[in-house]
Parts: sequence; C-alpha cells; structure tokens
Amino acid sequence: MNANAIQILFLKDLFLSRWPLFGYMVGGLLSVMVACLPGEFAGFIGFILMVTVTIAAGIHLIGVLLLAESVDMTRTFVMSLPVSLLDYSIAKISVVLVAFLIPWLGMLASLTVLIFVAPEAKPGFVAFLVMVFLFMLVGFCLQLVTAVVTESVGWTIVVVVLGNVLLNLFLKTLHENPVIAELNKSEVLSWPPIVLQIMAIEVIVILVALGLAFLFQIRQRDLV
Amino acid sequence: MSTALNQPRQFTAAASLRGIAKSYKHFQLKDIDLEIEPGTVNGLIGPNGAGKSTIMRIMMGLVAPDQGTVSVLGQPISSREASAKQEIGFFSDDMRLYKSESIAFHMQFVRSLFPSWDEDYAHQLLDRFGLIAQQKIKGLSHGQRVKSLLLLILARRPKLLILDEPTNGLDPVAKQEVLSELMQIVNDETRTILYSSHNTQDVEQISDTIAFIDRGRVIASNNRDEFLDGWRRFKLQAPQNWQAPVIDGLRSESTFGNLRVMTLDRYQAEVEDRLQSSGATLEASEAMTLEEIFVAAVARGREDKQ
Repeated sequence: MNANAIQILFLKDLFLSRWPLFGYMVGGLLSVMVACLPGEFAGFIGFILMVTVTIAAGIHLIGVLLLAESVDMTRTFVMSLPVSLLDYSIAKISVVLVAFLIPWLGMLASLTVLIFVAPEAKPGFVAFLVMVFLFMLVGFCLQLVTAVVTESVGWTIVVVVLGNVLLNLFLKTLHENPVIAELNKSEVLSWPPIVLQIMAIEVIVILVALGLAFLFQIRQRDLV
Repeated sequence: MSTALNQPRQFTAAASLRGIAKSYKHFQLKDIDLEIEPGTVNGLIGPNGAGKSTIMRIMMGLVAPDQGTVSVLGQPISSREASAKQEIGFFSDDMRLYKSESIAFHMQFVRSLFPSWDEDYAHQLLDRFGLIAQQKIKGLSHGQRVKSLLLLILARRPKLLILDEPTNGLDPVAKQEVLSELMQIVNDETRTILYSSHNTQDVEQISDTIAFIDRGRVIASNNRDEFLDGWRRFKLQAPQNWQAPVIDGLRSESTFGNLRVMTLDRYQAEVEDRLQSSGATLEASEAMTLEEIFVAAVARGREDKQ
C-alpha cells in the first residue's frame, strides 16, 4: 500500500468533484434556510428539499467519481500510473464516501443546531432526523456497492429508485410508530431502544455495504 | 505455437511474457512468449482484434492472464504491483484524460506521482507538439489529445514505453511529429519501446524487431532487416508440365497461365539458381514490403491453423 499515491488520488478526485460538491452544499444551505422560515409548512418543505439534495448528491457523486471513470475510460490512464489496485480502491471508495458525507453532515448538523436553537422546534425530533439521514446513507452505500459491482448506470439507477421507495415506506413506518411519534413532539432529546435498534441496523448495513464495495473493488481481475 | 520477439539471450529482459493465455467469450490469447531486449524498439503488428492490446494490458497489469507469468523491468507485474509502473510509460488508443480539466492539471497530477518527471522536457514537448497547458481536454482535437497523453508519458522519462496504436487516427503531420519524437527516444540506448499498430509503415519506420500477431497468437517474429531480406517474391515463366523444385520456406505459390508467382520467407541467393536450372525463366525477384510480408504471414498462419 502506497499512502502517498492514495492521498494524491484522493485529492485529485476531491478536486474533480469540487463543482458538484459546491452545488450540493449551496443546495443544502438553501434547504436549511427554507426550513428556518416561520411555520410548520416551511419546515416540511425544507426537510423535503434536504432529502432531495442528499439523494441527488449521492447519485451525482457516484456518477462523477466512480461510474464516469469506466464510461469515460479515464481509469486506464489512472491505472497506468504507479498505483496498485489496493491504492486505487482505498482512494476511490474513501473519496466517494467523504464527498457524500460533506453535504450530508453539513445538512444534518445545521438542522440539528436549528432544532435546538429555534424556540418552536422540538429537540426530540433530532432522533427521527438522525434515523432518516442514516437511512439515506444506507441508500448511498447500497448505490455505491451496486456501482462498484456492476459498473452500470442502469443498475445504479434501479437501486436509487428502490431506495427512494423504501425511504417513503421508512418515513411512514416511523410516523406510525407510537414511541417515535411521541418522541417527535418531545421537548427533550432521548434515545429509546427502538431508535437505537433502528440506528444499529442502519450502521450494520452501511458497514457491510462499504466492506462489500471494497472487497469487490480489490477482487477485480481485469481493470479495463 | 510459441514464438519470441527476441529469442532468449544473456540479458535482463526489459519485459518477459511466458506461456501467457487469456480467454474471453469470443477471443483467446494463447501461448504468448515474448522476450524484449533492453534498448530496442519492438513492433507488434496485427489486424484489429488480433490481441495486441490484450498483450499490452497484461504487461501493465490491467488485465490478469489466465495462465503464464509476466515480468517487466525485472519485476513481476499484476494489478497488485505498482512499483514497476514507475519506469513504464503506457499509451493506449482508448485511454482518456479528464475532459473538464486542463493539460496543466494533468501535468501536475502526473508530476506528483513521478519523482523522475522532467519539467523542462515537458515544456519542450508542449512547444514541439503545439499544445497550450491551459487548454481543457474537451477542447482538444484527437491529435492534440494523443500528443497530450504522450507528453504526460514521455516527460517522466520511462525506461520502457508500451504504446498501443499511438498513431491511430492521426493526420500525416501529427503522425510524423509523434514518430519523430519516438525516434529521438530511440537514440537513447537505455530505453525500450514496444509499439503496436496495424499500420506496417509506422512500425517499419522505427522498429528493430517485429512480431506479427493474428487471432491471439504470435505467428512470426524476427529482426526487421531479416524480415525484409528473408522474404522474396519470384515471378517465373514456366513450361506447362514444369515441376517446381523443393524449396525451404516456400509460403505460397500461384499460377496465372505460364506465369508462376512464388513467395519465400527464407530467401537465399542460391534459390534463384535452383529455379533457373529447373527449366523456368526467372522474370523477377522482388523484395517485399513489410505489409506484403505481414499479409502473406497471416494468410499462411490461417491456412496452417485450418
């Protein structure tokens, strides 16, 4: 493993994704601003915008950083440099993840702060927010593993669509759960067992998906 | 069939492939043995889909062979090994740069990975190739993209250049510029070039040794001059019941009335005497171009396979 090569590849990809990343950070900021407007409806629209920006960022970054490399045939160029498949895989999966986490964390953090600062917001809603954002991270990691395994835009879109359908079902399930519904209205943030169990499952799926993405990436025999 | 580009001798090969095989659904590379001598220019000639690119990709570790071993500059190569690639410059016809970025971005990126990067030479190449560092890749013509890639490869001063169809699609001026640059590199005897093309003229112009590849096999390989000197075409006027003498290396024979055309791949001056003394009248003894030799070798190779 060559740490210097990994760092150079990582920074190169982060630089290549600078404009989409900037765009999604601006989009995230706008959604937070909408959520800050007075009234429950503005909060709802702000939340929907944030979910949309997060999902779009995931699809776009996987496209720009991962799928485009095989579609545009730039991978042959990169792999002709003194870079091993291990270096390439570590750099690639790390940068895609970090690039996604920048707007993801930015939005989650600003929304959390907003909830604690805004007088009408209920701090108990933060638990719901964390579960939803983790669910979107699960969706992103599943898209990532699909893109690595299939190198197909089509299959990745199928997973995106499935992820969106599941997200709606997930939101409905959370709303219908009496413990979570109660927590959303609570003035105190708490983490009941059902919330911790859901979060634990989400984290496990994220770790398994990332592990599979890395494993499939380094097991490739033919790179072009 | 097992053939070597250069027969094994007492030297550390710039690249060595032994018993390489690779199977795809509709194509197989079989029994590839290549030994490339340091400081030489080696041409791989083959029709499209013959296996030239697959051989080169295997040499770069981009494609894993099903069988056989590869070592380049004395080191084993695979997708898991990166150190040998410090000394190799690889160009492929289907290789692309990041289209939204400039040549300067790519120069900086490649420089950060190669301590051997020669900035002065890179700027000389920019001038020589008529490139502007700030130009975005998406605004470049095909010829400029090829030259940009070659700049990024040459400026790191690699010991081994693996060039897969570098002149493909270039206009005559651009092609000559690229070939001239390669000729200058050839003057440095420590550097080795493996060059593939389906254009025999380009390969003939710069290569010391040549291998013909067809349908996943090396069908012939030799020193360029021995190739050119060894192949000969005879045109004879022969009587109706003329019996051709047995000649070593007879590759093809065709008859047009009394005119016989014979192609040989192990030409020796005494053959002409033997033909004359057999009762035929030798009308012409012609040297063949590399393209004609290639076509004859491919045709013969395919006949032998059937």
